[in-house]
Order: sequence, then structure tokens, then C-alpha cells
Amino acid sequence: MFRVSLLPVTSDLSPDDFLSPVFALSIYYDIITSGNMLKYFMNSLVVGLAVLVGNLIFCFMAGYAISRYRFLGRRVWFYTVILVLMIPAHIIIVPMYLLIVKLGLYDTYGALILPFLVNPIGIFLVKQYIDSLPPSMEEAARIDGAGEITVLFRVVLPLCRPALAVLAVQVFLTNWNSFLFPFILTSSESVRTLPVALALYQGHQAVDWPHLMAGSSLAVIPVLLIFLLFQRHIVSGITAGAIKQ
Amino acid sequence: MKTRHLAGNLFTLPWILTLLFFWLFPLLYSLYLGFTDYRLLKPDWTWVGLANYAALVSDRDFLDSLLNTFIFVFGTIPVTTVVALILALLIERRFPGRTLFRSGFFMPSITSMVVIALVFTNLYSRGGYIYLLTRMIGLSPPENGFLLSDKTALLSVMAMDVWMSVGYYMLLFLAGLKAIPDELYESADVAGASPFRKFRSITLPLLKPVALFIIVINTIKSFQVFIEIFVMTKGRYDTSTAVYFIYETGLNQFRFGYASAAAYVLFLIIAAFSILQFSLLRQRRLY
Repeated sequence: MFRVSLLPVTSDLSPDDFLSPVFALSIYYDIITSGNMLKYFMNSLVVGLAVLVGNLIFCFMAGYAISRYRFLGRRVWFYTVILVLMIPAHIIIVPMYLLIVKLGLYDTYGALILPFLVNPIGIFLVKQYIDSLPPSMEEAARIDGAGEITVLFRVVLPLCRPALAVLAVQVFLTNWNSFLFPFILTSSESVRTLPVALALYQGHQAVDWPHLMAGSSLAVIPVLLIFLLFQRHIVSGITAGAIKQ
Repeated sequence: MKTRHLAGNLFTLPWILTLLFFWLFPLLYSLYLGFTDYRLLKPDWTWVGLANYAALVSDRDFLDSLLNTFIFVFGTIPVTTVVALILALLIERRFPGRTLFRSGFFMPSITSMVVIALVFTNLYSRGGYIYLLTRMIGLSPPENGFLLSDKTALLSVMAMDVWMSVGYYMLLFLAGLKAIPDELYESADVAGASPFRKFRSITLPLLKPVALFIIVINTIKSFQVFIEIFVMTKGRYDTSTAVYFIYETGLNQFRFGYASAAAYVLFLIIAAFSILQFSLLRQRRLY
């Protein structure tokens, strides 16, 4: 089983010479220069980064507000966060598709970015972290005459770096691997993301395993890098939610 | 205080807008659509009441997809939970290469589902490694590979799913194990408790909240199984699941109303299970 767990990583080998030591690097040259795989890769990257930036800003703002302010509707919004966590996202594919079409966003980057700019799990993560910080720094800044936005971005933001790192890794990975919504909300190759391209590649022609697996490796390599660099953040992001429950 | 009130609303505004616009509205819109006969080439759609739901009850494809979904959910979750627990208990012990094993098990759960499904499509196919391996140990796999047979296709997808997600739940169990205070084990040692007794009387009861949490999120996730099915079998060989049915009727045949009704049936099933499990979760936390 452990051996198999390494398969996606070594999957750039074609099935027949899986055990042979010959590496066909020419396939990589091939997909990078001639195929569209590189374009899909870039699409995934652009969408992933846009969603990442949006989540960092908006989840941070909302998480802070829910943690610190006692404003009207605070409890209501907090419970909707929990509620949305429970709503199975896959059941709204039909109305989501219709909505995106009506908005004229179908088959654009907007369809892949706008609905995902802020997510409840991220808000929850930030809120929990800010709950654990003492408010004294913010109070001090306010006494010095700082406005709310200054407090938010100059005082609280630097303190939240660990939580935001966890959030960033989680959001990027989720988005990078996401398939269903990019699949139903786009159709043309110009905005197609890598997972969608891989799933459709198989459908179009007789299966060309070496190219498909080379493309798969393109999808896996960033995940592997992120995993090696940020393993600690991934693990703490996953376990933070569970222990609280 | 006034400014903070304003700031609070302002800071949550992006979330509120996204929530209302892209999540709550579709959810309600879907409920409405479920009572209409809206489809792509029929712009003058009308209210049909419960007709869609009545049709679903006798739609063989829908019932089969629901049955497959239930088989998937109740087939994978117990296995995933138990294997994840066993792995967590094994990996919690200190031994050389422990982090390597932990990473190895965990890695698949953050890898793209599409990629994993593609790799397994290869492994399961005639001439793939899993196919050859089962032949080597003397079994006779289906002639055209595991995914092209009514008997094994769904089971094969389920096995892959267990393999893929077990590392994630193992991590959650590990976190749960870490939260158990060492003193409990020490006093059990003093009392001369056997390892099995310690496991039964300390580890298991204290892991219950984590275990239930795992089962809840895994249930919600598993009821929505789709990507594996789409990539590996396209719903053929008796593997269509509820979300695959919704996709097929809604976005391939463009029967929006009918698909929305099916989506709501699934939604209610998931909601019922979530509520049931959450009330269980509540009860357990009392002691």
C-alpha cells in the first residue's frame, strides 16, 4: 500500500515500462511545447492565486469582525457559517450553472473565482485564532487614534500570520484540485483548469497514458512541493477544526 | 461604538454577499426549480407541483443511483474509520521512519482526485498492476479489467476511495490521541491494566468525539461521490451515484427541474443523517 501511495508521483512512467529504468523525458518536452497542458497549468495557477488572495483578505476581515465586534447580526452570521459548512455543495450544481449563465460569467475566469473568494472554513479558522489573541494591542492602537481599518491591517494582520499561512495552504490546495465546479462552469479550452483537462483528455481519444500521466504529474508536482514545504501548516489546519469539535 | 458596529458589518460584507448570492440563492432556487418542468429547450416552464418527485420515485435510474450511493457510503465509511484508527494507533508509537509513513499515508488525500482516479483506472484495467497482481495470487479478475464489469466496478471505486481518504482521517485520530492526557495511562499502569484493557477503557471512550466527527464529515462527503465515478466509469457498469444522476439529467440532458428535485431528495437524506449524527455527538459529549 505504501508503495502504491508513491504511484501518483512516479506516474510519469508509462504502464508498460513502469519497472524499467528508462525515463522518457521527451514526453515532458512534448506536453510543454506542443500540447495545451501548460496553458491549463497556468489557468489553474491564475485561478488558484486569485482565490487565495481573496480568501486571505475576506476571511481575515470576516473572521476578525465575528471574533471581536459585537455588532447586529453577529450571531446570525456565525451560525450561517456553520450552516454552510453542512450544506452539501454538490447538490447545487444545477442552479449554480443557471446562475452563472444568467450572469454572463459562464466560461470565464469570473465563474471560477467569484463564488469561491471567501469560504466559511477559512472564516472559522481565523475567528478561532483571533479569539486566542489578547485584545490589548488593538486597544492600545485605538487609544493612539488608529481607525478600525488601520487596526485591522496594521495591528491584527501581522499577529495572524500563522493562521493565515494555514489558510493559504488549505485554500490553494483545495482550489488546485477542485474539479466539479470548474468542470460545469466552463467549456472552452482557454479557461480550462488542469484537473478538468485531465478528466476530459481521457474522454476524447483512445487513452494516451504517457501523455496523460505526464499531465497528471504537472498537477501533482506543485502539491508535492507545497506538502514538503508546509507540511506542518497542512496538518495543523486539518486538526484544528477537529479538536475544537 | 457606532464605528465598530459599522466596521463589523462592512468587514463581513464580502462573505455575506457571496453567501447570499452564490450559495443560499442557488439552494432556494433549486427548491423552486424542483417544482417546475424547466428544461433547456422549454423556456415557458410551468409549475408542476410534486410531479417531479412522483416521477423520481418510480425512476429506475434514480433509485439505482441512490442504492449505489448508499452502498458506497455504508461500504466505505466503516472500513475507512477502522483502518484510519488502526493506522493512527500504529503510527503513534515511536519507531524509525514514522514521519515517512505518516506522510506516505496522508499524501493521497491532498492529491487531485482526478489524478488518483486516472492512475487507478490504469491499475484496474486489463494489464494494469492491480489486475496482474490478483491474477498472480491465483484469483481470476474480470476479463476486461475491474472497472468494466457490473460486479466489481463499484467495489473497485470504493476500495480506491478508502485508500485515498484513510490518511486524512488517520491524522484526525492522531490529533485525538495526542489530546488524551498521559496521566490516565500512567495510573492505569499503576493499577496493572493490560494493554487491551487500557485501549478499551481509556483510548476508545476518549476518542469517541473525534470518531463521531470523522463519521459526520465523511458521511456528508461520501453521499456526494461524483468525481471518481465520472473519471473512472462515467456511471456505466452499475456505478451511477446520486450526484452523477443529478449531473447527467441536469447538465447533460438539461432537465433542470427534474435534476433539482433529485438534488433535493439527496439534500434531505444528507440533512437527516447529519442531524442524526449530530444529536449523537451532543449526547456523547455530556460525560
